[in-house]
Amino acid sequence: MIYIGAEVIVGPLGDTAEDNWEALSENRSGIAPAPAVGFNKEAIHLSKIAGLSGPLRFQQLVIKALAVLKERIDASILTSDRTMVLISSTKGALDDNLHDPFSETCAAVMHAFNLAHLPVVISNACISGVLTLNVAGNMVGVGQYDHVIVIGCDVASDFVLYGFQSLFAVSDKPCAPFDAARNGITLGEGCGAALVSGTQSVFKNRPLELLTGTSANDANHISGPSRTGEGLVRSVMKTMNKHGVGAEEIDFICAHGTGTVFNDEMEAIAFGRLSLSDKPLNSLKGYFGHTLGAAGVIETAVCMQMMRNGMLIKSLGYRDAGTSVPLNIILENEPKKLRTILKTASGFGGGNASLMIRNL
Amino acid sequence: MKVITAYCNLRADECLVNGEVVARWDAGSEDSWFKQIYKQQELAYPKFYKMDVLSQAGYLASELIKRVNPGISEAYADDEIALVFANTSSSAETDRRFIQSYEGGGSPSPSLFVYTLPNIVLGEIAILNKWYGENMFAVLPKFVPGFYLDYSRILFASGSRALLGGWLEVTAGSTDVFLFMVEERESGTEFKEENLIHLSQTGAVAAY
Repeated sequence: MIYIGAEVIVGPLGDTAEDNWEALSENRSGIAPAPAVGFNKEAIHLSKIAGLSGPLRFQQLVIKALAVLKERIDASILTSDRTMVLISSTKGALDDNLHDPFSETCAAVMHAFNLAHLPVVISNACISGVLTLNVAGNMVGVGQYDHVIVIGCDVASDFVLYGFQSLFAVSDKPCAPFDAARNGITLGEGCGAALVSGTQSVFKNRPLELLTGTSANDANHISGPSRTGEGLVRSVMKTMNKHGVGAEEIDFICAHGTGTVFNDEMEAIAFGRLSLSDKPLNSLKGYFGHTLGAAGVIETAVCMQMMRNGMLIKSLGYRDAGTSVPLNIILENEPKKLRTILKTASGFGGGNASLMIRNL
Repeated sequence: MKVITAYCNLRADECLVNGEVVARWDAGSEDSWFKQIYKQQELAYPKFYKMDVLSQAGYLASELIKRVNPGISEAYADDEIALVFANTSSSAETDRRFIQSYEGGGSPSPSLFVYTLPNIVLGEIAILNKWYGENMFAVLPKFVPGFYLDYSRILFASGSRALLGGWLEVTAGSTDVFLFMVEERESGTEFKEENLIHLSQTGAVAAY
């Protein structure tokens, strides 16, 4: 069995998964208006970490998250040569070193925690986090490593904000995933982490089971979602088939739900094709914004907290149905025993990825 | 066993397929080096002109590999060829150009922004070939054969039947591209560390 646990979230809502859980259970969002940050000096809603500024923001966040995680595991595995650290990110420390956004952070993390191996960076746009968790599970599954720590991190930058503005993809209000009036993303920053291991005893708290999934390309467009949801359908079908899990076993879907018109529509079509439209579903982007390479890890960590606390969390920002295929969007927090959940992600480059978590 | 059935090296002034030089840089041409290869090889995919350098490199090398290994697409289902690429500087060259588009009076260019992710090249290859398989892009300190060997074991154990591997380091000052196709065969150049290192250095001459 492949275990996942010791989840960590460092973001605008707090520095631990528990702080974040408290905020989520009160439906508090990290999104706030930021004055004069836009390309034309306009105010834009962002989900930014208070007090995180200046150089080495990316490195600071990664090291902070790993320090929190270290407290939740048998710390002796950190220095073992049977342990690997994977970092999931899109832009890394771009603001510190445009030409080499990752090397310095990897070296600093290795040094700070006396790791046996240099961390490896996986950079697959917005599916990076889910993909990296799957890679971690597969590495443990085939015995390449005994323990793999996944850290997903991205920091907000002018670069990314201006880019999404140039695509007219930034919401003029806090993002509203799956809502009829949605009109874009809200950019966020944060860091999520978790330990994936075949050994239950290395977790201080009870771990959950990671049912690793598959990724699939849409083979459609580099920056536009597929109109048929083909890649997402293939990814989810393979993930469920791999573990012999039928639709009736899925208790909840944590969707990607960026809040753009086309992404959310694509997901709705895909979940319809998968006969999963009736499953309770949310997007967590209304709480964290879109944290890009960190999103899949942060959102999986939230799923784990939802399972531990037996609670469905409202999809913040959603009011009126706004997709051609209706979905069962969670309107209010609701206690519910969650045994098996599905997490999905889709992103630029046509990538789609999915995984499942099972409560033990 | 798993063997390397075709490979392509793209360097600053020559392009090799299976170790044979197929194009050389023409210093007198006004075209970029990648455009020279595109024209010399009589490739026809107008989208090439919109791509950034990473995607152009991946497109050229994968098309040249298909040319010497024409059965690839027919031999596999549309989701059985996995793409595993890596480099050191991510999308730095395009990142720099995107920053230039908005610093100094201009406005951010959406057509550059969409290429400011290293995995876009995987998307371009998937779109062109209608490949729905696994994709991964890693950022590594240097070309490490073990990375491809290790990850391919995971992919081959979970439904992929062939692998297009790639090292794509293209910056303003250097071009170091190596793409290789890995398939199951009775015999051939075994997919192993020494062979990957050897083939990645094919054509490298001291004069560089």
